[in-house]
Amino acid sequence: MQGFPGVASDLQTLQASMQAIEHACSLIQMHMNPAEVEKVIGSLRSSSMPYQTCRFILEASQMASARFQAAGAIGDAAIREWALLTEENKRSLILFCLNYVMERSSAPEAYVLSKVSSVAARLLKRAWLEFSESEKVVIFNEVKQSIVGVHGCDPQYAGIHFVELLVSEFTPSTSSAMGLPREFHEQCQSSLERNYLKEFYCWAQAAMLGLADKIMSSSRNVSEERACAGAIRLMFQILNWNFTISDKSNTKSNVLPSGIRHDTVVLKKFDRTLIKPGSAWRDTLISCGHTNWLLNFYGALREKYSYDTLWNDSPLAYSTRQLIVQLCSLAGAVFPSDNGETQIKHLIQILSAILPWVEPPDAIAASIISGGSESELVDGCHALLSMASLTTTALFDNLLKSVRPYCTVHLLAALTCEVVKALMDNQREEETWAEESLDILLETWNVILEGIYTDRSSISTDGVYAASNLFNVIVESHLKAAADSAFEDADNSEYFHASISKRDERLASYALVARVAAESTVPFLARLFQERFAALSQGLGKSDPTRTLEELYWLLLITGHVLTDSGEGETLLIPEALQAAFPDVVEAALHPVVMLSWSVIDFSRQCLDPAMRSAYFSPRLMEAVVWFLARWVATYLVPLDTSMGNIKPTISEGVVTNGSQPSRKVLQSFGWENNQGNIILDSAIRISMVALTVYPGENELQALTCQKLLSVLVRRKHICTRLVQLESWREIARAFANESILFSISARSQRSLAETLICAASCLKDSETSLQYLKDVIGPMTACLIENTCRTDLKSVAQQADAIYMVSCLLERLRGAVRATQPRTQKTIFEMGYAVMNPLLSLLEIYKNQSGVVYLVLKFVVDFVDAQVVFLGAKETSILVNFCMQLLQVYSSHNIGKISISLSSSLRSESQSEKYKDLRALLQLLRNMCSKDLVDFSTDAEEEDRPDIAQVVYVGLHIVTPLISLDLLKYPKLSRDYFALVSHMLEVYPEKVAQLNTDAFTHITSTLDLGLHHQDIDVVENCLAAINSLASYHFKERSLGKEGLSLRIVETQGSNGLLQASVTDHFFRLLLQLLLFEDFRMELAGSAADAFLPLILCEQELYQRLVQELLESQSNPALKSRLATAFNSLTNSNHLSISLDRPNRQKFRKNLHHFLIEISGFVKIK
Amino acid sequence: MSDEEHHFESKADAGASKTYPQQAGTIRKNGYIVIKGRPCKVVEVSTSKTGKHGHAKCHFVAIDIFTAKKLEDIVPSSHNCDVPHVNRTDYQLIDISEDGFVSTLLSVSLLTENGNTKDDLKLPTDENLLAQLKDGFGEGKDLVVSVMSAMGEEQICAIKDIGPK
Repeated sequence: MQGFPGVASDLQTLQASMQAIEHACSLIQMHMNPAEVEKVIGSLRSSSMPYQTCRFILEASQMASARFQAAGAIGDAAIREWALLTEENKRSLILFCLNYVMERSSAPEAYVLSKVSSVAARLLKRAWLEFSESEKVVIFNEVKQSIVGVHGCDPQYAGIHFVELLVSEFTPSTSSAMGLPREFHEQCQSSLERNYLKEFYCWAQAAMLGLADKIMSSSRNVSEERACAGAIRLMFQILNWNFTISDKSNTKSNVLPSGIRHDTVVLKKFDRTLIKPGSAWRDTLISCGHTNWLLNFYGALREKYSYDTLWNDSPLAYSTRQLIVQLCSLAGAVFPSDNGETQIKHLIQILSAILPWVEPPDAIAASIISGGSESELVDGCHALLSMASLTTTALFDNLLKSVRPYCTVHLLAALTCEVVKALMDNQREEETWAEESLDILLETWNVILEGIYTDRSSISTDGVYAASNLFNVIVESHLKAAADSAFEDADNSEYFHASISKRDERLASYALVARVAAESTVPFLARLFQERFAALSQGLGKSDPTRTLEELYWLLLITGHVLTDSGEGETLLIPEALQAAFPDVVEAALHPVVMLSWSVIDFSRQCLDPAMRSAYFSPRLMEAVVWFLARWVATYLVPLDTSMGNIKPTISEGVVTNGSQPSRKVLQSFGWENNQGNIILDSAIRISMVALTVYPGENELQALTCQKLLSVLVRRKHICTRLVQLESWREIARAFANESILFSISARSQRSLAETLICAASCLKDSETSLQYLKDVIGPMTACLIENTCRTDLKSVAQQADAIYMVSCLLERLRGAVRATQPRTQKTIFEMGYAVMNPLLSLLEIYKNQSGVVYLVLKFVVDFVDAQVVFLGAKETSILVNFCMQLLQVYSSHNIGKISISLSSSLRSESQSEKYKDLRALLQLLRNMCSKDLVDFSTDAEEEDRPDIAQVVYVGLHIVTPLISLDLLKYPKLSRDYFALVSHMLEVYPEKVAQLNTDAFTHITSTLDLGLHHQDIDVVENCLAAINSLASYHFKERSLGKEGLSLRIVETQGSNGLLQASVTDHFFRLLLQLLLFEDFRMELAGSAADAFLPLILCEQELYQRLVQELLESQSNPALKSRLATAFNSLTNSNHLSISLDRPNRQKFRKNLHHFLIEISGFVKIK
Repeated sequence: MSDEEHHFESKADAGASKTYPQQAGTIRKNGYIVIKGRPCKVVEVSTSKTGKHGHAKCHFVAIDIFTAKKLEDIVPSSHNCDVPHVNRTDYQLIDISEDGFVSTLLSVSLLTENGNTKDDLKLPTDENLLAQLKDGFGEGKDLVVSVMSAMGEEQICAIKDIGPK
């Protein structure tokens, strides 16, 4: 071949090299001597001009893996030696590879051919901007010839495969590294998209058309099918391209009047995106009937192979379906702007073609269960989801109308029914298809049902009916499955835990379906619940209740989901669908939602009866009861707009804005009617007490009770004020304070219980009562802690397990109490904290080796400071600050220089992470103290004896930092806390930094170095802010003629080795390096600019010098001048001045942004 | 107000008992537990349910604090587990003898009470620690060793440098 690079050696040398490589490859296969193998193959890859040798191996070697290595070596060497190769050389290398695959396209080792193809693709991309268009045309002509099938099937496949690899080489996420600036890759990408992508698609289309005839007319032909599947896969891949050439369909509204939507994001959940190739593709994809042809082709194939059950999963069938589903997501300007008509037609066309995949649902499900292929069903579901997300609910519902007597939602419902049945019937088997399709179908339901509430486009009555049917099927099959599984020992706890959130997600989707048809589904649920409940009460002591209980359990869950939303962290509202339903009901007692609620609550109350409880209420059922009550109370005990407790039976003024329909009013107010609200609250407290005391060791139940139910009860004022009046509430408070029974629940639950109880104090209107209540709850635990730490025999008993447990519980309770601090209760709680300060210090001493207790002490203090500091006056502040300093010193004296040793590596890492948690708590403590200087609610004005918080925090930092090793900073949360604190301190009190001693100062600067290269973006941001503060301080001091930080010397990495430099010099170099050469993230550009500006102002000479050095090191004159211009405009454009005021900083931000965009193209390398 | 039951139940002489019962559900990660007669530190706790309507069980994964062997146990969460009394005492290091034993003095704070030397502590088997101990001692640093004891066994578990002599 002409122009092939490298010097031709004699045959003997070539053969010797070939044998060496073959030998190495055979060693790989036997897994022997990897070091030697690596050396031999590595030497081929890195040798200079290995092309002749590689070519010889490719052509002569009998060993496939040797050929594979040789191909790889060509690629690596050519990229490396690109500058040494002539134009002729490059072209001939590419052509050699291409010809190689074409000529041997039927060879058995596909992976070798694929490698050679990919080398060709890689080299072609490398040459992309150098070759003239005509040169490319020459190469592509060859490829095109084979793709359209001039040379037969196998070369055709080879050609298609080459283009596939080429496209993937041009896609940013799959491109290979070439040691070139990013700009190069971007230019290649847009050039390919502009000039070739559509052409490639047409080639593939042509190949497919040509092959289709042959496939249809002949009996099975493997290589034709392979080529055809390849062509379709290529089309699929091309449509996956991230089209950047702008799609000009900037319609103002997101939804066209015809019902086509543009605001789709939901597709992402199943790895699909909208495809917006733009108007240029209209002729190829839309107007020439491409879709229609493809659909017919698939239909014909399907018929032809209907005898073969395996065909559905053949590559050809698979890729064709993929492409069809992909075409559903076409959107944007590829369709003419005719109010979506063409797109709707397009969707209807696809929908009618995929109907046989999913219809009739029962037959399809049956065939899958008896061993048929599920692929068509799953892909059909995907297509439905894509369509649902591109259309409004009404349009989606109507799509099917033109081909079927029923609507799309009807089909969707029927399909979901079958899938649910199949899933529930075959739960034990490893059937994933039902899971998978149910997920997709439920997502589709979510999409269309959300559409109902956002667009107010209503669903047809037919659709509502279908949804109601579907929900009945769902409930029935789940109840059946629940009853059948009642006697199984589901001890599979891991699985159980992993699937709870999954289960909840699914139940929430079911609930959406139920709410659409609330008129029939809510009464249905109520009836089922009452039946089961009645069966249970009648059968008490007579029949085995297990099955019924299992059904009730499931009904409880689904009812909870239907009646309430999960609304984490939001104020729950009564679901709009339920408010809008039942417009004719005016009496609360007849409202189905009310009836359903009462029957569930009645059932829940049964657990208060000891006989019923021991017979029926297992811990798991109690969990469901508690969960339901928490959600129900938060949703349905809504605040009344009129004065508390005064319910007006007549409906005169509308409570809700939309619609004054009486049933809405009923739903808003029924909870409080006839004193019901108080009764429910009373029951909730008693049920909580039962859950906490009667089920020992059930941590999950107790956590749920304390953290969910009880905290909901005190969260909103209108509920809480009633709550605290109840006798049962006083009882629970009394039990908590004075009885030992509640010490048996887990310490964490005790903490949240304490928090809840203290929270309630501020809802007692009378301040005397409130104070007394507080004292009653807090007093005993404080007293107990103090008494116990004063015991004379403390030393000898303290290490015993029960003592440790007791102390831990008390600490958790105290911590819960301080977390509930509110302005009204702050004073009392401070007194409590003050009383335990000395005991805490002695506990810290006694339990210095019990890391668990130490941690609890620290966490208590952290929360205490956090809750209290903003309220405290000077005297109290100095008490608190002194206490914290003592605490820090005691902790530090115990831990500094300590090395834990253990035989077990996991215990060692445990002790490391304990240390990490302690330190994190200490940092939080310091940070919380800082807030005193920012927010201060205290009223007293004696400024003089007010402690200097900054001083204190620096002392604290000085105590804490030696404990933080650089290793520990690798813990993400610790490092975030640390850097947040440091940057805060440097920002607010830079003058104090100057006074730090050298060790402390060096430690801070060296951690900043580390932080700048941290993965976590927040950390880097904090470090930049810290540097900004340091440099700005220095600049300001110097402009006032003071020394600033000039005397601070740190070691820095200069251009020739380490050197001593000032702090600003050091950070200047570091930042410049980071901005120019490292993987700098653009979102940090703003903070980087803020840090860089003062550094430049401080170090102007250095700046000039370094820029000069940089420019000189750049050899390419074009880039050199670009770089020079970039640097010039960085400092000179936008009238930048020498100051650090806000407008100037803004200007510099802009400048740096442009600068980074300008240089990132050619300075950074991929 | 305060109820008698809030006090530590242990008496001073209860130290004779080597373990104490504690409800399984309240034992947390990083706590101690006795499994198969060995004192262990809990590194993982998970709860599971026995059957659909049964009670919770705790599954403990723990590491023997002396031998570093991993042990596991499953206990109904309302039942009691044995929790070992783990004590740590600090001693000042005064000598390392050739036969692999170290001589220590009860730490400074207790010196007046009990100035005996303790010569029966074996050197740690961990190379790293051994090196640190020997090097530190060789350099004349003032070293304090923490000795962990539980259920009749003891072992050096930490060292601390309290500054040069």
